[in-house]
Amino acid sequence: MASLSEEVLLVVKKVRQRKQDGTLYLMAERIAWGPEGKDRFTVSHLYADIRCQKISPDGKAKVQLQLVLHTGESTTFHFANESSALKDREAAKELLQQLLPKFKKKANKELEEKNRMLQEDPVLFQLYKDLVVSQVISAEEFWANRLGGVNNTDPTLFNNKQEVGISGAFLADIRPQTDGCNGLRYNLTADIIESIFRTYPAVKQKYSENVPHNLTEKEFWTRFFQSHYFHRDRINTGTQDIFSECAKQDEKGLKSLVVQGVKNPLVDLLSLEDKTLDEGYGVSTTQPSTSNANRTVKESSNYAIIKRFNHHSAMVLAAGSRKGETPADQASETSSTDGNSRDSDFFQPPVKKVKLQEAIEYEDLQRENRPKTVALNLKKSDRYAHGPVPLQSQQYTTSQDIINSVNYIRHEMANYKPNLTQVVSSTAASSAIVALSPGGVLMQAGAQQAINRKFLSLMFSG
Amino acid sequence: MKLNIEGLLVYFPYDYIYPEQYSYMLELKRTLDAKGHGVLEMPSGTGKTISLLSLIIAYQRAFPLEVTKLIYCSRTVPEIEKVIEELRKLMEFYSKETGESNNFLALALSSRKNLCIHPEVSSLRFGKEVDGKCHSLTASYIRAQRHSNPNLPVCRFYEEFDAVGRQVPLPPGVYNLDDLKDFGRRKGWCPYYLARYSILHANIVVYSYHYLLDPKIADLVSKELAKKSVVVFDEAHNIDNVCIDSMSVNITRRTLDRCQNNVDTLQNTIHKIKETDAAKLREEYRRLVEGLKEANVARETDIYLANPVLPDEILQEAVPGTIRTAEHFVGFLRRFLEYLKSRLRVQHVVQESAPQFLKDIFDKVCIDRKPLRFCAERLQSLLRTLEIADIADFSAVTLISNFATLVSTYSQGFTIIIEPFEDRTPTIANPVLHFSCMDPSIAIKPVFQRFQSVIITSGTLSPLDIYPRILDFRPVTMASFTMTLARTCLCPLIVGRGNDQVALSSKFETREDFAVIRNYGNLLLEMSAIVPDGIVAFFTSYVYMENIVASWYEQGILENIQRNKLIFIETQDAAETSMALEKYQEACENGRGAILLSVARGKVSEGIDFVHHFGRAVIMFGVPYVYTQSRILKARLEYLRDQFQIRENDFLTFDAMRHAAQCVGRAIRGKTDYGLMIFADKRYARADKRGKLPRWIQEHINDGSLNLTVDEAVQLAKHFLRQMAQPFRQEDQLGLSLLTLEQLQSEEMLQKITQIAHQT
Repeated sequence: MASLSEEVLLVVKKVRQRKQDGTLYLMAERIAWGPEGKDRFTVSHLYADIRCQKISPDGKAKVQLQLVLHTGESTTFHFANESSALKDREAAKELLQQLLPKFKKKANKELEEKNRMLQEDPVLFQLYKDLVVSQVISAEEFWANRLGGVNNTDPTLFNNKQEVGISGAFLADIRPQTDGCNGLRYNLTADIIESIFRTYPAVKQKYSENVPHNLTEKEFWTRFFQSHYFHRDRINTGTQDIFSECAKQDEKGLKSLVVQGVKNPLVDLLSLEDKTLDEGYGVSTTQPSTSNANRTVKESSNYAIIKRFNHHSAMVLAAGSRKGETPADQASETSSTDGNSRDSDFFQPPVKKVKLQEAIEYEDLQRENRPKTVALNLKKSDRYAHGPVPLQSQQYTTSQDIINSVNYIRHEMANYKPNLTQVVSSTAASSAIVALSPGGVLMQAGAQQAINRKFLSLMFSG
Repeated sequence: MKLNIEGLLVYFPYDYIYPEQYSYMLELKRTLDAKGHGVLEMPSGTGKTISLLSLIIAYQRAFPLEVTKLIYCSRTVPEIEKVIEELRKLMEFYSKETGESNNFLALALSSRKNLCIHPEVSSLRFGKEVDGKCHSLTASYIRAQRHSNPNLPVCRFYEEFDAVGRQVPLPPGVYNLDDLKDFGRRKGWCPYYLARYSILHANIVVYSYHYLLDPKIADLVSKELAKKSVVVFDEAHNIDNVCIDSMSVNITRRTLDRCQNNVDTLQNTIHKIKETDAAKLREEYRRLVEGLKEANVARETDIYLANPVLPDEILQEAVPGTIRTAEHFVGFLRRFLEYLKSRLRVQHVVQESAPQFLKDIFDKVCIDRKPLRFCAERLQSLLRTLEIADIADFSAVTLISNFATLVSTYSQGFTIIIEPFEDRTPTIANPVLHFSCMDPSIAIKPVFQRFQSVIITSGTLSPLDIYPRILDFRPVTMASFTMTLARTCLCPLIVGRGNDQVALSSKFETREDFAVIRNYGNLLLEMSAIVPDGIVAFFTSYVYMENIVASWYEQGILENIQRNKLIFIETQDAAETSMALEKYQEACENGRGAILLSVARGKVSEGIDFVHHFGRAVIMFGVPYVYTQSRILKARLEYLRDQFQIRENDFLTFDAMRHAAQCVGRAIRGKTDYGLMIFADKRYARADKRGKLPRWIQEHINDGSLNLTVDEAVQLAKHFLRQMAQPFRQEDQLGLSLLTLEQLQSEEMLQKITQIAHQT
C-alpha cells in the first residue's frame, strides 16, 4: 500500500496492464500500477529490483514499455491514451532512465559485496553451496544473517576497496550498428559514459557546459560521435565542432606532459646520446621530414592515429591512478618539474641513483641474505583451499589463558574433596564400564554408524 | 670472491660467478698478454661489464707498467653511468678485502650539457647552445679581453679551476657525472674542465665513442692519452656506423647560404682589425710561415693521437702562400663557395670520386689541391686571430673547410654524390651534396695504431669475422661466448605463416598485402592475450609501421588488442616517445600490461632495455633491412665488394640481422629474466639469415620452431610462459650456470668452461 510519505514523481493515466486499464505511478523508490477505480496497486516494483527497461520500436502500433526484473520476470505496460501515448511513454522512459542507474549501483554493490565475501571465504562458500544451492534455505535467509555482520565489520576494509580501472578498449565497445535506414546507432551505457568522462575530462566539461541548456543529452552524444574528435583519423574539417576545443585542450595537455619530460633518466631519449654530431655531419639517412607541411594527407592521418593511441593510453592510465593521488602530492610534483632545470637537478639524483642501482644488480650472483624460509609446496592448491576443514571457527587460546586455566585447575585440585555421599553405586559403575569398553553394547561400530545415519536422515527430511 | 685467472689474482665483487664470465676473463687476459686487439661477443645480461672491469683492474694492479690506463667507451649516457656504478662496487669490494684504500682514480666524462654547473649556461636545453655559451665565456682571448674590460661576463667556476684546479689533482676515487658536479660545486671548480684535465692522469676513463672516434672531438679531448692504455668499445655492434658518421659531410643550399654570411662576417672583421690592430694579422702570418711545426713535433714524439683530418704530410709543410694572408684566404673561401653553389645547381644526380672532384675544381676555378688541404687548419687559425666569441655561429664555414680538407686528403674511401631532389618528392628542388665516408677503418685507424690493446665487445657481434674485415685490423683473439642456462629462459620462435597459410614477410612485394598485415595483426592480438605485462614489437621502418598501424586501426585489430593491453607507439619525436616509454613502463608496473610498437634502428631499439616484466615478449615484424635504394648505401656496398671482398647481400643480411638481434636481445637482461623472441618473417628460417644471429640465440632455435603458424607459436609460447612462471631459485642454477669458488676449481668444470668460448 502506498505510504503517504512517498513522493510521486510521475503519474500516467490510461496505461494498460494485462488488458486492464489503470494508472502508472513513478515514485521515489518504486514503480507501481493500479487498476482504474481501485485505490491499491496490483503491480509494484522497487527500482532496485529492475534490471532494465525495454520499449517497443517507434513504428509499432502498440506503445509499450517492458520492465525486466533481476529475477527474470517481466511486466509490460501498454500506453493506451490515443493522443499522447508516445509522449507518456517517453516521459516514463526518461524518468526511469535517470532513476534506474542510481538504484542499480546500490543493488550491484550489494551483489558485489556478496560475491566478494563468497570468494574470500571458502568456508562461507561451502556453506552457501550446501545450504542455498541444495535449497535448504533461500538465498535471502542465508544473507539475512550474514549481511548484518558485513555492514558492521571493519569499515576500513570497505573503504580500501580497489578502484576499478577503465578498460582500455571502452571506445571499441561502442560498436555502431546500422538501424536499417541509412543511420547508425550507438548504444551507450552508463558505464561507458562514465569511462569517457573519467578518461577525457575535457568532454565532461563540455557536457556540463552544454547539457541540458544548449543540447539534449542525445544531441550531445550524437555530435560527439560525429566529431573529428572521436574519429581522429579524419582531418579536422569544420571549426563548428564543439569538440575541436577538446582536441586543442588535449593537445595542450600532451604538450605540457612532453615538456615536463620524464622522471626516469634511463628512458629519457633526449639525453641518451652524449654527443650528437653537429648539423651537416654524418651520413644523412633520408628520413621523411616530420614537419606537417611536407606530409601527404594519408601520412598525417596515420600520424594522427598514432598520436591518438599514445594519448588515449596515457589518459586511460592516468584515469586509473588519478584517484589515489592526493592533491598536495600533485602540486609538489608539478612545482618541481615545470620549474627551471636547477630545481629538477636537485630533485633528480635519488630517482636516478635508484634506477642505476637497479640496472646493475645481478641478484643471482649475490648470496641471498634474507632469512631462509621454507617454501610451501602445494601440489593441488584447490585441495588446500577447499579441503576437509572443520566448519566451525576455531577458538584459539592465548598462552596467558592457558596459564590462567592451569592455575585455576591447580587451585581446584588443591581444594578437591571427594563427595563420597553422592557417588554412583559400584555395580552401576562397573556395568557402565563394561558397556563402554571394546565389545560392549555401546561400542559396536556398526551400531554407531547406523545411529549417525538415522540422525542425519532425520535432519535432512526435517 | 678471489679468482685465479692463469696466475693473475682477480677480485670479483660477487659470491658467485657465471661460467661464461670466467671464460671471458681468460680470453681477455690472453689478449692483454699479447698486447693485441680482441673481438669478444658475450650475451647481454651475463655481466660483461663487471668481468671486463675486474680483469683489467687486476691486470693494471699487477702490471702497472704494462697497462697504465683503461679507456672504456660506451654509447649512451646511462650506459656510461652504469659502468661507473659497477666500478664503484668493485672498488668498494677491493677496499673491503684488502683493507686499504686504493689510490685509483676513475671518472666519467661527458659533454658540457651533462657536466656544467654554471646557473645560466646549464639551463640551456641543447648541447650545442651550452657548448657555444661556454665557449663565449671561457675562450682564451675572451679572458684576455677581460683584463682590459672587467665588465665582461665571466664563468667563475672556470676561473677558479684555472687558478687553482690544475695544481691539486682530483683525489682518488670513483667519480660519476653527478659526483663530479657535486665536487665542482663544493670547490667552485668547473666540473667539465676538471674532468677533461683529470682524464690525463686517471686510471680509468669512461666516456662515449665520439671522444675517440670523431676526429673533431678526439683532437681536443683524447689526443694526449697514454699509449699504454687498454681501450674497450662496449656495445660495439654499430661501431662502423659511428666511424662513418664522424667522417661524412652533407652540404645543402642552406649550409651554403649560412656559410656566405660567415664569410661576409669574416671579411668585415678583418677590415676592422686591419684598421685598429694590423700587428695581429702580421703575427699570424709569421706563425703560418713557420708552419704547423709544433703539431709535427708533438706527433713525432708520439704524445698525440693522430687526427685523420690532419694528415701527416701537411704537418711537414708550411701553409701555402696563396692562403696565408687573411684576405687571400677569405677570397679563396669565396671562390670555393661559389664553386659549390654552382655544383648544387644540377638537374640530375651526379656521383664522382674525390680525384674527379679535385680535377673539376681545378679546371673550373683554379683551386689547387694543396691549399684545400690546409683549409681547416687555416680557418681555425683565423678564427683564433680574429677573436671570434661565438664559434657556434661559424659552424657552416667550419663544415665547408673540413670538407675541403677531407676531400683533398683522401683519394680513396669516400664518394661524392650530388642529388638535386629527394627521391620521394621529385618536384621539389632540394639539392644536397653528400660527401660520404665508405670506409669505417679510416676513423678508427689511429685508435688501433696508437693503443696497445683495443677490445671490441657486445652482446651481438655475429658473424665475428666481419668486424676485423670492415675495420681493417688483426685481432689476436676472437671469441663468442654462449649463455649457460639452468633453464632455457629465452624462446626464439620463427613465425613464417599465418593461420590461413599465408606466408608472412615484410619483403617489398608483399609489403602492402592485406593478408600479411592482417596476419601480423592477428599474431600481435593472440600474443597480447597470453603474454603477461609488457610486449615490445619492432617494425622495419617508420613508414612501414605507420602504414600497418593505420591498416590495423581500420580493420579493428587495434581495438581488440586494447581489450588486453594498452598500446603505445614510438614516434619520430624523441620527447614524445620518452613519455610514451615512461607510460609504457608505468602500465607494466601496475599490472595493466602494455604493448610498445617501435622501430628497429630507432632510438628505442638502440638504447632502452626491457628487463623482466617490461618485456616478456619481443616481436620482430619483418627483417630490418636498410633502405637499399639509397645511393650512398649502394656506393658503400660497391666499395666493400671491391676493397674487402664482402658481397653486397652478405653485408645487407649481416646488417639486418645485427639489428634484429639487437631488438630481440633487449628483452633478456640476465639469467633470472625470461622472454619470448618472435621473428615474424619466413625468411628468418633460411640458413643464411639464421646463421648470422648470435650463437646464444641460434642454439635455442630448434628445427621444430622454424616455420610456425600463428596458432602453433601461441601454443609454444603458452607452454614456455607457464614453465617460466614457476619460481626460480638460486639453488636451481648452482653448479650449472652459477658457480661457487669451489665448483669453479673442479677439473670437470674447467673442462666445460673451455667449451663455452667459441673460437673463430
